[in-house]
Amino acid sequence: MGGYIVRRLWQMIPTMLGVVLLVFVLFNWVGGDPAYVLAGKISSHEQIENIRRQLGIDQPYYVQLGIFLKQIVTANFGSSWSTNEKVSHILLTRLGPSLTVLVPLLILGTLISIGLALAVAYVRGSLTDRMVMIVCTVGLSISILVYIIVFQYVFAYKLGWFPVQGWGDSFWQNLVVYASLPILIALAVSIAPDLRLYRTFVLDEINQDYVRTARAKGVSENRVIWVHVLRNASIPIITYLMSGLPGLLLGSFLIERFFSIPGIGREVILAVERSDFPVIKAITVYVAFATIFTNLLADLTYKAVDPRVQLK
Amino acid sequence: MPFVLVVAVIAIGTVLAPSARAADPAKVLHIIFPAAETGFDPARVSDTYSATVDEAIFDRLYTYDYLARPAKIVPMTAESMPEISDHGRTYVIHLKHGIYFTPDPAFGGKPRELTAADYVYTFERFADPANHSPWAFLVQDRFVGLDGEVDKAKKTGKFDYDARIPGIEALDRYTLRFELKRPDYLLLYTLAHTSFGAVAREVVEKYGNDIEAHPVGTGPYMLAQWRRAAKIVLVANPHYRHEVWDFRSSGEAWDAAVIAAMKGKTIPQIGKVEISIVEESQSAWLAFERGELDLLAVPATFRAQALDAGNHLLPKWASQGVTLYRMVLPSITYVALDFRDPLLGGFSKEKIALRRAIIMGYDIGDDIRVLRKGQAVQAQMPIPEGVVGFDPAWRNVNQYDPELANELLDYFGYRKGPDGYRRLPDGKPLTLRMATGTTAIDRESDELWKRSMDAIGLRMVFEQGKFSDHLKAARACQLMMWGQAWSADYPDGDDFMQLLYGPNTGQSNNGCYESKSFDSMYEKSRELPPDSPERERLYLDMTRQAEVDGAWSLDVSPISNVVIRPWVLGYKRHPILNAWFVYMDVLPHH
Repeated sequence: MGGYIVRRLWQMIPTMLGVVLLVFVLFNWVGGDPAYVLAGKISSHEQIENIRRQLGIDQPYYVQLGIFLKQIVTANFGSSWSTNEKVSHILLTRLGPSLTVLVPLLILGTLISIGLALAVAYVRGSLTDRMVMIVCTVGLSISILVYIIVFQYVFAYKLGWFPVQGWGDSFWQNLVVYASLPILIALAVSIAPDLRLYRTFVLDEINQDYVRTARAKGVSENRVIWVHVLRNASIPIITYLMSGLPGLLLGSFLIERFFSIPGIGREVILAVERSDFPVIKAITVYVAFATIFTNLLADLTYKAVDPRVQLK
Repeated sequence: MPFVLVVAVIAIGTVLAPSARAADPAKVLHIIFPAAETGFDPARVSDTYSATVDEAIFDRLYTYDYLARPAKIVPMTAESMPEISDHGRTYVIHLKHGIYFTPDPAFGGKPRELTAADYVYTFERFADPANHSPWAFLVQDRFVGLDGEVDKAKKTGKFDYDARIPGIEALDRYTLRFELKRPDYLLLYTLAHTSFGAVAREVVEKYGNDIEAHPVGTGPYMLAQWRRAAKIVLVANPHYRHEVWDFRSSGEAWDAAVIAAMKGKTIPQIGKVEISIVEESQSAWLAFERGELDLLAVPATFRAQALDAGNHLLPKWASQGVTLYRMVLPSITYVALDFRDPLLGGFSKEKIALRRAIIMGYDIGDDIRVLRKGQAVQAQMPIPEGVVGFDPAWRNVNQYDPELANELLDYFGYRKGPDGYRRLPDGKPLTLRMATGTTAIDRESDELWKRSMDAIGLRMVFEQGKFSDHLKAARACQLMMWGQAWSADYPDGDDFMQLLYGPNTGQSNNGCYESKSFDSMYEKSRELPPDSPERERLYLDMTRQAEVDGAWSLDVSPISNVVIRPWVLGYKRHPILNAWFVYMDVLPHH
């Protein structure tokens, strides 16, 4: 196991180098020149050159790339070009609000989707199964933007169950008052595709010989579904969940914008709008790290869930 | 205890003790910014929202009368208007005594009085290359001796704030003298500029790069809480000097209610201002509807929910006591036509004809109706309403007239080819290239331009890109056409006319318009006082010159619609000031 982990960590290096190169090339190719924005409404060529010098973007590309690599190694990405705030501070302060929405979303979404998937798979082919699948297909055909606009209008404005937008200082106030509606929307958006996918995973297992054998040996239906089927179906479910984790953090930017949640997703959009390369670099690198680590974690979890899995 | 010590203790206690006139902390105003702030160092920020907060925290030497229109400069921390001599080259200003910065650890627990040296330091910070201030253009090449210090700083990497600069000098604790390189009557506007509020050197040096998060000023408000890009809370400065609301009506009917509600009250009245950053217009509008906000500039997409076709408040709102304040903003939108472009630029007759045909071919009526949803007025001259030099009777010679545009193009030999599009007089292809953005309104605008140009037989293509890339190309005179906007930094026509001044090519003259006639008139105008009729005449002549040369396709000045809850008193949008809550009050409400 130890050797496997070391090998996987070693393999991260070329992957990370690829990510670094891609981000660097993309930013320099399409990222725009931030000096022109920072220089203000009226600025001379000399002022712009002065800003470029201070930001270090007048250096040859290989020097800039070297600085980027050093920043990754030292985990110090400096300060935001547009706000002067330390990048580490940006990440630390924006991560909390994002996680306040995402952690409950992940737990609730996973439990509800798996529970429903097992239930509809158990009654597969029935009217209930078909109706649930139709609802899921309709649900996942609707854009998240529509969910946000409609839910915000109905539940926050019309019914007044939640505030229209905002974010407070206390964790519990944020979780209970401000994050509830965003979580509800994210659940509505994510349950439909998750349920369909998990149902397929469960159905694959339900038709296996070991399920038939268990039933023939008189094992209770509850035990067959919740222990035998769920355990085997959990491997693809874990893969799917883990691969989606880092993306979730950034993918919630629309919800964060509409509900004024000061999270990471919203920060990414701000950074792109402002050509704020230090922030873009840091978030991209950390998301790449997170992706690699969650993949590794997924592989290790397979082993825990199913002892037959061999890590090579 | 010796007598002197007793007096000193009492004096310090008096200065630090919260004023009996302090604003009521229970009075809270809830508003939004539609975009995130960037920080609160006045020398470094240029976005409206950060500047609004700075405006409430830092005091300038001069400010604007809250009600007067056009905007009128009045003393703020200066005792009176400046003593101007040497034909506008020398300004002497006396400061009010007894103005104190809000307490901060940087002051070591002692009261810190505002002095002339603070303004010297404040002005020098704008020139310091290390700050790369977006307002550096307001101090560069202006004050005697300053540019030399800037050059030294570029070589040494450090600006010497202790060096004597003859152009910006504290004559004594309360007297400032500015000495300019040439006659300059516009300096007053810089002295009143909302970014030029006094900062204390100790505070800047204590916090270093983190100064953005530590705004310490002498103004009516203090920063109480800042959650970046999410929430800003300002509280009234309990030590703020005694200022009484005493503004006179500008003659507008709106002023009567403002004066009735505010006259005689101390400034500020509102104890706490809670500003949320709400970027999505649906969220902002629903928050206002739910009563979570006290006033709101109606987002364009929600105009129909607030106003009827005649731009009056819907009965639903009027019955709730909500009021509407409408104002043409002191800004313009325009499309700059590149004078160095080989196809479009130059001063030959056929090029002038081509540019004027383009301008006359653009359907400005549809622009206002469709793109702006009726919330804009056609800009007839580069100087917008509310700005010195604006003439309400002025009419641009290049009005929308596609027939005349077609005739002009025919006359100068721009014949149509078999594809229906015109070619250059020498028969070469003619394609107009417009730089554009990627937002929905950009796409709508592109469609309108395409339709307008198709109607006069001109082929047009659009090049999408980022603002910073377009700006870079425009500064290098490499954008044939680009739509831009300009808002007044100060309420004087000079702020707009400089956009057409030849030597500003590469800085702000993004159409690279270089007319000897225009430039000579502009240079003459710079030497005349703002209230001079001769200068106003020059502005009109310059406007006409730019029109006949076809320098810009002038577009619109937008209209702002602000809806105000009945418990909010004293609101009147100012063309320059943005921290209007300083002059307002709120009544108790549920």
